[in-house]
Amino acid sequence: MTTVILRTITRLVLPLGFVVSFAFFLQGHNLPGGGFIAGVLTASVVALAYLAYGLDVVEEDVFGREVETAVEHVQHGVVRDYQTLYAAGLAVAVAGGLAAMLYGYLTDTTIPFMTQTFRYATVPLFGHIELASAVVFDLGVYAVVVGALLTIISVVGAE
Amino acid sequence: MATFILGLPYDSNVQPTPDLWVLLALVGLPFAAAAATPLVARALGNRTAYYAAAVAAVCFGLVVTLAGTHGGAAVSWVGPLSVSLGFYVDGLATLVGALASGVGVLVFLYSAGYMRGEPGQPKYYATMLAFMGSMLGVVYAGDLVVLFCFWELTSVASFLLVGHYSDRRDSRYAARKAMLVTVGGGLFMLVGFVLLASTVGTYSLAAMLAEPAATRAAVERAGLLLPILSLVGIGAATKSAQVPFHVWLPDAMAAPTPVSAFLHSATMVKAGVFLLGRVRPILVGDHWTEIFVALGLCTMLVAAILAVCASELKELLAYSTVSHLGLIVAGFGFTGALGSETAVFHILNHAAFKAALFLVAGIVAHEAGTRAFDDLGGLRHDLPITAAVAVVAALGMGGVPPFNGFYSKELLFEASYEFAHHAGGLAWLAPVVAVVGSVFTLAYSLRFLAVFFGERPDTLGHVHRAPWSMTGPPVALAAIAGVIGLGGITAALGAPLAPVESFVGWVVGATLGPEAAGHAASFHYYLPTYVSPAVVMSALAIAGGIVCYLRWRTVRWATRGLLGALPVLRADGWYDGFVYGANHASTRVQRALWTGHLRTYAAWTFVGAVALAGFGYLATGIAVPTAGPTLGAGLTIILAVAAVAAVAAVRAPSHVAGVMALSVVGFAVTVFFVLASAPDVALTQVVVETVTFVVFLVILDKLPSYYGRIERSRAARDAVISVLVGGLVTVTTLVATDASPDAIATYFVENTVEQAGGHNIVNVILVDFRGLDTLGEISVVAMAAVTVLTLIVMRERGETP
Repeated sequence: MTTVILRTITRLVLPLGFVVSFAFFLQGHNLPGGGFIAGVLTASVVALAYLAYGLDVVEEDVFGREVETAVEHVQHGVVRDYQTLYAAGLAVAVAGGLAAMLYGYLTDTTIPFMTQTFRYATVPLFGHIELASAVVFDLGVYAVVVGALLTIISVVGAE
Repeated sequence: MATFILGLPYDSNVQPTPDLWVLLALVGLPFAAAAATPLVARALGNRTAYYAAAVAAVCFGLVVTLAGTHGGAAVSWVGPLSVSLGFYVDGLATLVGALASGVGVLVFLYSAGYMRGEPGQPKYYATMLAFMGSMLGVVYAGDLVVLFCFWELTSVASFLLVGHYSDRRDSRYAARKAMLVTVGGGLFMLVGFVLLASTVGTYSLAAMLAEPAATRAAVERAGLLLPILSLVGIGAATKSAQVPFHVWLPDAMAAPTPVSAFLHSATMVKAGVFLLGRVRPILVGDHWTEIFVALGLCTMLVAAILAVCASELKELLAYSTVSHLGLIVAGFGFTGALGSETAVFHILNHAAFKAALFLVAGIVAHEAGTRAFDDLGGLRHDLPITAAVAVVAALGMGGVPPFNGFYSKELLFEASYEFAHHAGGLAWLAPVVAVVGSVFTLAYSLRFLAVFFGERPDTLGHVHRAPWSMTGPPVALAAIAGVIGLGGITAALGAPLAPVESFVGWVVGATLGPEAAGHAASFHYYLPTYVSPAVVMSALAIAGGIVCYLRWRTVRWATRGLLGALPVLRADGWYDGFVYGANHASTRVQRALWTGHLRTYAAWTFVGAVALAGFGYLATGIAVPTAGPTLGAGLTIILAVAAVAAVAAVRAPSHVAGVMALSVVGFAVTVFFVLASAPDVALTQVVVETVTFVVFLVILDKLPSYYGRIERSRAARDAVISVLVGGLVTVTTLVATDASPDAIATYFVENTVEQAGGHNIVNVILVDFRGLDTLGEISVVAMAAVTVLTLIVMRERGETP
């Protein structure tokens, strides 16, 4: 399945995909996008790389590690990192929700779990932009989606 | 027992209410101590028992400080359901609480000798402490939900303790049995509690007990008296091992003996009768009497017969415990003060003599190395102190005057005679059954004692004296039993044992019906000095018991014959039948469901979803709107493309073609979303479609290139399922989008920018308005990854076929 065309296209698409997914992530609150879509896009781009260059590409070329067997791949290799990623994502999402409660506790107001808020700020170069607390939660969503999808793809792919 | 508290003014009507912090400390301390046990055990080793005993002693002290108080104390827990972490203190709670902590102290001290050098001590002491905390929680619960939670915790603790020797098959079987029966009963009880709370409007037991007459009236108005009575009764009957739920208690003797003494004679099995005493003020009445007198007396007789058939010490004591619990249940069953007096006084007496006897049995087994009657005899020379304890306790168990069990049994005779005298007819069975049960009770009590008297078998080797840590606790229990017994003699001479009498009176007051509830009853007991029906019944029972013992071989032959003819008495059949039947049925269901083919799982999932949702629609009689939205030309063309591609996917000869066709469907839907001005959904659809496609390409190598031919019947079945699913989805969509004006959509459109500061409504809903849903969804995504990993790793390690 690996052809020169596929490899070339992949080289081209890979950076584009990452940039687009990053843009999706940032603009999600106001324009089409968001953590979920960005996460799926990132995962699909990496999956494309898997298709074009084989399953060890991330392991060997990105992290410079050697893997022997499939089990090792799952238990120690990059899958371990994917697992850490989605676990951390869940933790971030929950922690963001708890932070609201903590803030309420510190300021003597009752704020329920996962309450979000936003502020507008003026930043040089970007102008008048919105800073939403929901971005923390969205980051968690992004991490979970990327971690979980890549775990599944690489494990199933390794079969 | 807790008799020295009795100088306090508890029978005045202005008792102080209990302090919430004392109650929280009392119930929380054992759990905290249990959590710390592994660390403590590392430092103390075999002396961990003294640590546990100290904790129990502190609890006992707290029980004593609470003894002067009456009433409830609560902190809010689940506000909207009016569930609170509520406690309630009265006489009954104090009695059973004092038993749980007081017997606890003695049993822990005894464990120091019994468990010395055994493995698994941290687990043992931690579970015992946790059990004690759960028991105290049950006893002092002032809220039905709290009561239920602690009730189930005692079952869990019992499971762990019965299965203490987890490498033995019979232990594991017994632990499962005890757990299934008591937890199953607990579920019935929970339903009863929910019914009760929904009629009364609160889960607060304290509030119900403060107004028993009003509570009862509310229950009767709703017509739920009998259901509630039966459901709560099943809970109590399983916990207190009443017929036919008595199957678990004899097996539970697989536990170490201190556990049997503590859980399965003095405390946990008392939780059932405690529950009856607890709800008695609310539910007592004609139905109550019919149900519990019949249940209790039946249990008393059946278990006494089974005890006579027993071939070893602990089995005898187990059936005897069941029998005595039957006596207590029957006591609570009789209306009026006499019944309550029977039950309450026997709870106290039984705890004293039965715990002592279990500890005696433990000493015999520990020192002589066997518990079988045939191998034992003449032990009085080897174990003189133990023999003395056994005499006091066993004669109390047999109901021989002037030992303590005699007085409560006398009360039972009196209550049953009064009952029969009033009700007439079939009710005369009650005193008869009580006497016959007592005949067997005395017979097996004497048989137990025979271990210490008569010939010493030659096969019995050298028997060590037990250490003081093991003889001390039974001596203390027997002393209490003995003092209560002596109180009857002194009372006959004009000097009653005032502390015991007023304490029991106080406890009895807590279990009386609405007309008298909460007030201390005046209670007296004494050795009868004149002839009454009860005295005649006692004389008959004792004479019969002695005759039975003298004709022991004949009696045992007869009872074993009876058991052989009526195996239903042992009642193991229904439990085994149920459990093995359930196993068998689930194997068969599994074979149908778990074929290893994805299509089977998909079919079942879809059929299930269609059935549930369809049933919901039918049940609520939902109207399907006929006028759908009108589509423009563009949308129609796109949908037509999707429909053609869907047909192509079904008819595709190979995987590649099928997936291609499916992708066409997916991208057509994407275009549809774009045209319907839902760019966000379209974007998601594109990306997801892409990932699906890529994943499919990854696994393509593993799949056969072409589909085989499928059977016509299966194709038809699949077609039916598909049509059903499609129809249901259509209906759902029509119904869901029909609401007009669409309040939800309007709300989001109006509030998204204002409250969340975002212009992308879909995303704002995802991360803000319905953020918790998203949290759930990403948890599912993470779980899916974990599942895939687990399955693959298990296969790599060769753990699955």
